[in-house]
Amino acid sequence: MIVLFWICAFVLLITGLAVIASRQPVHSVVSLIVNFSALAVLFLTLSAEFLAMMQIIIYAGAILVLFLFVIALLTIGNQPVETGRGKLAFQAVPAVAAGAVALGTIWYGVRVAWSSGAQRISPDFGSVSLFGSALLTTHVFAFEVTAFVLLVAIVGVVLMAARKEVRF
Amino acid sequence: MPHVPLAGYLALASALFVIGAIGFLVRRNPLTMLMSIELMWNAGNLAFAAFARSFEDMSGQIFVFIVITVAAAEAAIALAIVVMVFRHRADVDVDEISIMRG
Amino acid sequence: MGHHIVPPIPLILFFPLIGAVTIALFGPFVDRRASAFVGTASVFLSFVITVWLAIVVWQLPIDQQAAFAHSRFLGYWVDIPPYLVISFRLLVDPLSIVWMLVVTGVGFLIHLYSVGYMAPDKNYRTFFAYMNLFVVAMLLLVMADNFLWLLVGWAGVGLASYLLIGFYYDRRTAVLAARKALIMNVIGDVGILIAIFLMYAHFGSVAYQTVFASLGRVPAGSLDWIGVWLFVGAVAKSAQLPLQTWLPDAMEGPTPVSALIHAATMVTAGVYLVARAHPIYDRAPVAAEIVAVVGGLTALFAATIGTVQYDIKRVLAYSTMSQIGYMMLAVGIGAYAAGAFHFVTHAFFKALLFMAAGIVIHNLSGEQDIRKMGGLAKRMPFAYWTFLAGTLAIAGIFPFAGFFSKDAILDQALQLHHPWLQAAGTIAAFLTAFYMFRLLYLTFFTGSYRGDHEPHHDSSWTMTWPVAILAVLALIGGWLVLPGRDLMSSALAASFVDARFGQFLGEFNWPLSISTLLLAIAGIVLAYALYQVPSGARDWLRTRFSPVRDLLMNAYYFDVIYHYAFEAPTYALADFFSRYFEGEVVGGIPRAFAGLATWFAGVSGGWEAGYLRRYGLSIVVGVALVLVLYLFLTHAPATLGRP
Repeated sequence: MIVLFWICAFVLLITGLAVIASRQPVHSVVSLIVNFSALAVLFLTLSAEFLAMMQIIIYAGAILVLFLFVIALLTIGNQPVETGRGKLAFQAVPAVAAGAVALGTIWYGVRVAWSSGAQRISPDFGSVSLFGSALLTTHVFAFEVTAFVLLVAIVGVVLMAARKEVRF
Repeated sequence: MPHVPLAGYLALASALFVIGAIGFLVRRNPLTMLMSIELMWNAGNLAFAAFARSFEDMSGQIFVFIVITVAAAEAAIALAIVVMVFRHRADVDVDEISIMRG
Repeated sequence: MGHHIVPPIPLILFFPLIGAVTIALFGPFVDRRASAFVGTASVFLSFVITVWLAIVVWQLPIDQQAAFAHSRFLGYWVDIPPYLVISFRLLVDPLSIVWMLVVTGVGFLIHLYSVGYMAPDKNYRTFFAYMNLFVVAMLLLVMADNFLWLLVGWAGVGLASYLLIGFYYDRRTAVLAARKALIMNVIGDVGILIAIFLMYAHFGSVAYQTVFASLGRVPAGSLDWIGVWLFVGAVAKSAQLPLQTWLPDAMEGPTPVSALIHAATMVTAGVYLVARAHPIYDRAPVAAEIVAVVGGLTALFAATIGTVQYDIKRVLAYSTMSQIGYMMLAVGIGAYAAGAFHFVTHAFFKALLFMAAGIVIHNLSGEQDIRKMGGLAKRMPFAYWTFLAGTLAIAGIFPFAGFFSKDAILDQALQLHHPWLQAAGTIAAFLTAFYMFRLLYLTFFTGSYRGDHEPHHDSSWTMTWPVAILAVLALIGGWLVLPGRDLMSSALAASFVDARFGQFLGEFNWPLSISTLLLAIAGIVLAYALYQVPSGARDWLRTRFSPVRDLLMNAYYFDVIYHYAFEAPTYALADFFSRYFEGEVVGGIPRAFAGLATWFAGVSGGWEAGYLRRYGLSIVVGVALVLVLYLFLTHAPATLGRP
């Protein structure tokens, strides 16, 4: 288990860096797919089988496909790649610095939780049935609201797509 | 079988989050920025799932589910905006769409 | 004598000071002759009071003269007991009176002369203001009773010299000469300042009385140092080796200035200083020896250069340098009265020579090159006869003044066992006679007039009377010291009661005097043979000894050496500073700040402009800060201590 964790952790971080560092957006998407897959494995190690499946289906299967479509859309006649130096000076260094500081602080904070963590949990923790019952009983309100959010998103996207040309 | 302690997952999640945050701040391509945001979402998901398992509470996993859904909606809307804005521009650079000069 | 009516001594200083201020303030509003009158009259009044004072003082017995000297208290300048108390007192002992008489007397004559000589100049009024300023400063110098006030006067005459040398301020050479004089004078000022510091360190005071009374308490080595530093000042002011290069250039100033400042008075301040500080030099044999040797060398050095110069005033300048060398020689070996005596006679004949030369120059519309003169004896008889009087005096021909004073010095040198110095002085005497008569012949004889300008005669009485008076003084001035009756040393006795050597000058060393006289006559004859009689001898000498001639004409290349050793590096340094340092560093620092501010504005501006990523950065940085803050606030005391 620990080995698996470390492998997945390694993949996760490497692909994460690849996502943010790739010049071509398509490369970033591919790295992101691998990232999501590694994350799904990690969900499996966390006894969250349903979530692992959800991750693959929704994230990797739908959202990233959407990304690819948009990249394809913007690539025709365009160059969806950043060119030249940015207008903003003094952006990268403070960003990395602030990120490092935040990370360091968090790592310092979580080290108290460094117990061995071997505990017994019930074998159906994270199963579909348990997940479904929790979703539709304890958290039914959140479930309904989420559906509403999706509706709003669809309506919004359709409205925006049907708009006349907007020039910036 | 021995499990990885909670802190390991949290450390990993926070590292992934920071990577996503840096990516968002450093890149100028809107698509890459959106993908960095997805990374951040996922980092949060990982943390929730780890806590759910640690406290043996399904609420954590439910929350992950909600997050995935909302992230999908957000991705759709954001991509639609990106398409709208950059459809007829030659450069795909968020810095260029600043209307306020100076 | 019973009671004496004591003259108001501060008025001596007061009159020329008021004169200078009045001319400066009101001169431009009234007729220019008023300025001339005020300037001349103020010096004349000072002279009158000085004469009165002299009569009073010299009628007192000697011990009372000394007591009289230190009684003019006018107030405190620095009053910080017990650290430093400097009071403003005027000193009127015989030594200072001798100098005061010369300064005011000859000064008055020269002021009178300037009324006519400077008439064509547009800055007529300013001239008299400056001249009065000079008189004040010089009087302050000799009337001070402590070294600090002496330094004030010292610097004051330096200032007046600068102003007057550069009087023709639209002439580049004049301005450069003034600057050179000032720089060298300041070097001397620093020397005196160091001496004052040493005095204060050793004696806690700079007043003459206090210092001279406490000399026994310090070792001779320290006194030597004080003497040396004081002498540095004297060397600068009196244009002795090695700070002599400013004096020939100082001839750029008007002729009355050359007469008064650079012949009769200011340049003798160094001699005065050594004479005044004689208690120190009497106990500091090394320093005194340095004084005498430098004086002797300068006398010889300057005399050699004078033989080849062809500007009238330059020849006279080098001659002044040489004669002051004699005076320094005298005071260096302890013959203070002899040095003072030569000072008096030199003031007479040097001022005379300058003023007579000034008449010649004036009549030739500014020509000073003797190669362009000649045959003027018939055309300008007055100038010729007076100049001849001065030349005879300086050459040391009996019975003119120079004979007595120069021989007094040479005799004392022998008596006090300085044979080499006496030899140097004798050679210099020979050369002096030679080059002065060379000057005379080339200017007034040697065939017909070689110049371009037509001589005109417009000398007014203001120019001729002073010259005539000085000519008479040059003739009879030496008779202060006659065989058996020495008025000079008896006049100065009160100032030198404690001097190491007796100052009596009345014993004539006839063999010495006669041989020196013969040498002088030989010099005159040589000059006659070379310059008056047309022959190829001069050309032969010129070609044969041309390297020597070049050396002399360039004044032993002192100017060249100083230029490369000091001037050129300083200019290079200044150039570097003004071009690079000034622009890059001094200008760069504000520019860097401005650039910093501009850059910062650019960066901060990015926040306002709607850049998405900037907003994100603000958020992330804020998050990081909050996390750190949280960490420190909640865990800091405990966690930081834990390993």
